[in-house]
Amino acid sequence: MERNEQIISAGIDIGTSTTKLILSRFTLMNTAGSSHVPRIEIIDKEIIYKSSIYRTPLLNETLIDMKSVLGLVEQEYKKAGVRPQDIQTGAVIITGETATKQNAEEMLHLLSEQAGEFLVATAGPDLEGIIAGKGSGAFQRSKETGQTIANIDIGGGTANIAVYQAGLLRGTCTLNIGGRLIEFDNDRVKNISPPVRKLLMQLGITLATGDGVSFDFIRPVTEAMARILVHILQRKMTRDDEVLLLGHPPDWKVPIDQIMFSGGVSECIYGHEPSSDSYADIGVHLAKALQDNPELQDWEWIPPAETVRATVLGAGTQTTHISGATIQVDPARLPLKNLPVYQIGMDRNLEDGSQKVKNAIQQAIQVYDPALEGKNFVLYLTDLPFLRFRDVQQLGNWLIDAYRLQPNQTNPIVIVLQDDLAKVLGQTLLAMQSDRDVICIDQILVEQGDYLDIGNKLQSEVVPVVIKTLAFHS
Amino acid sequence: MKTLTEEVVEMVIKALEAQKSSSNEKREGPSLNIKFSEYSEIGVLNPRNRDSIVRAQAITPARIGIGRAGTRMRTSSYLRFRIDHAAAQDAVRKDVNEEILKQFNLPILKTIAADMDTYLMNLDAGRKLSDCSAEWLEKNIEKGNQVQILVCDGLSSSAVESNMPDLLPALIQGLKLKNITVAPPLFIKRSRVWVQDHVASIVNCDLIISLIGERPGLATAESLSAYMVYRPNEKTVEADRTVISNIHKGGLSPVEAGAYLSDLLAKMLISKCSGVQFSQKRYLETN
Repeated sequence: MERNEQIISAGIDIGTSTTKLILSRFTLMNTAGSSHVPRIEIIDKEIIYKSSIYRTPLLNETLIDMKSVLGLVEQEYKKAGVRPQDIQTGAVIITGETATKQNAEEMLHLLSEQAGEFLVATAGPDLEGIIAGKGSGAFQRSKETGQTIANIDIGGGTANIAVYQAGLLRGTCTLNIGGRLIEFDNDRVKNISPPVRKLLMQLGITLATGDGVSFDFIRPVTEAMARILVHILQRKMTRDDEVLLLGHPPDWKVPIDQIMFSGGVSECIYGHEPSSDSYADIGVHLAKALQDNPELQDWEWIPPAETVRATVLGAGTQTTHISGATIQVDPARLPLKNLPVYQIGMDRNLEDGSQKVKNAIQQAIQVYDPALEGKNFVLYLTDLPFLRFRDVQQLGNWLIDAYRLQPNQTNPIVIVLQDDLAKVLGQTLLAMQSDRDVICIDQILVEQGDYLDIGNKLQSEVVPVVIKTLAFHS
Repeated sequence: MKTLTEEVVEMVIKALEAQKSSSNEKREGPSLNIKFSEYSEIGVLNPRNRDSIVRAQAITPARIGIGRAGTRMRTSSYLRFRIDHAAAQDAVRKDVNEEILKQFNLPILKTIAADMDTYLMNLDAGRKLSDCSAEWLEKNIEKGNQVQILVCDGLSSSAVESNMPDLLPALIQGLKLKNITVAPPLFIKRSRVWVQDHVASIVNCDLIISLIGERPGLATAESLSAYMVYRPNEKTVEADRTVISNIHKGGLSPVEAGAYLSDLLAKMLISKCSGVQFSQKRYLETN
């Protein structure tokens, strides 16, 4: 009886070397029987447009050419026949070295504002790895086979590793390993990135810009990169290896069964794209060093579903979740962007609930709004017992009370529930006639420290939600 | 942890002893309200992949991964089956506890089904109010509200007892939040869905909703359905009703069901219809 709703999702990836976008059409369907409460699921994701792979436009070494990036996105939308207001979900990700440019954040927010109704800004090396691992197919494969797969997405600036075991994220790690870390200009060295300078010093090689291109330095550098990667995957990192580490050391605690390479450098291995542009850098040599490293051969190599487009595909098709169908939201307050998550676990009982809720709100304010500027957060309620109506009312009272502690009382109360209880809790809060607007959604799995973006209510009465896992604890 | 078999043996001994000590004074044994623990067990001996059984059991209440003894069920599986079957029979046969109805100030109306056997054998008997109840309703009910709520035992009194105390207040809260007028709810003993047509003809409401016990099964005896119809008349057929089923602790929780039903009723009031016509109208509106 009901026609399936369709929404368009965009993914935009601005990387160290390349920028690309994809558009896909999600089909939403009520998979519950007609005499049941609706259950809305994404049943199909069809890619309707893939842009060409563009060089990331830069003004100089420290600035992204924002005008050109916007122009590029505009032009691709036109080619695809969509308008920004047609884009109902998706993510923009700024990756690798581009993320360190002075105007990276500005670029990200500009795109997220102008290129869609609800386009989520994402960044951070861990998230890059996670999204690439979903776009490459590593996540799906680990889910299907139960194996532990490390996805290694190597682009121009960084190698982002995400380890998935049976569909669960087990850990991440990012390295300064990438194709563009030494750039050439004809047969001369044009640029050497700072981490590689340190590596060269460690290797006892002297190299300066303007020197001639030679295997005498290319080979030791790319071989060292492959060797350090092996140590990281084996979780046997040495002090010397730290020279290329970006951020935290590997944090997975399980041995890896299989490896998958995605990203621009993997394109040099698998050749998915019709015409590979040649980049004047060490990319192809790095790919060769990986293929020649004997220890990397100890793992089974699984070819990726996508190479250079893994991240953009992940951003465009794997970041959106759909809330439960019975929720209570104030449409005027949506979309909500970038709210941190504070979790309260109720241990399946409501004893001391009043105190627990109050403490949680207090701590959430301390952590996410320390200067009392009125920054809002999401309260994530988990492990509730079976709730009778009077329990819901009691919980509502506790929440209304505790939320009085927030400095800005004009912010909406934003609650996410693990269980299917959002509508009744939302209505109960409204019935208690607090002056606050209420956004109460459910059946979304998040974790303490994640950031959440909540999109506009769709016709199917669900909201799209994008979860940004920034901190990873396991 | 005690096994189910041990639990049952203990209960039976207790019941026998209680009967023995009371048989001198009274012929009737004490009425026992027995609650058995609700864990699912893995009956497969030395399973090769225990996790997969746990995962499979977590997504269905069906009796899977229970193992066997030779070619038969294990004793504990058999006892579990008998317990669930007995609960299903009790749900049909017993009456809703009147204490609970009193707590919610529900007037008790009756259909023309004079006893349980008539009710079960003659479907039409559960679809008409008795003359006495119809008369009472005519005199006492607040007429002309937008929504009339009925609580019906249907085929499971257990469903009413376990869900109504949470569903009803959540539903009324949701309706009031939308400024929808609601008549005081009524309970109708030995009633079937169609009795709502008779009640609606007397109370003159726009929408009538029956919260009615479903035919119990072996997975749960406590499942409740909500049947809604807009201004029923003599031409009303089944396709004119909207139904939401599977309301119970293990399905859609009664509090969330109440909140959802209040939204659904609000939409029906705007559409001025229910059933298939309502679904079609919503389909046209959203596309």
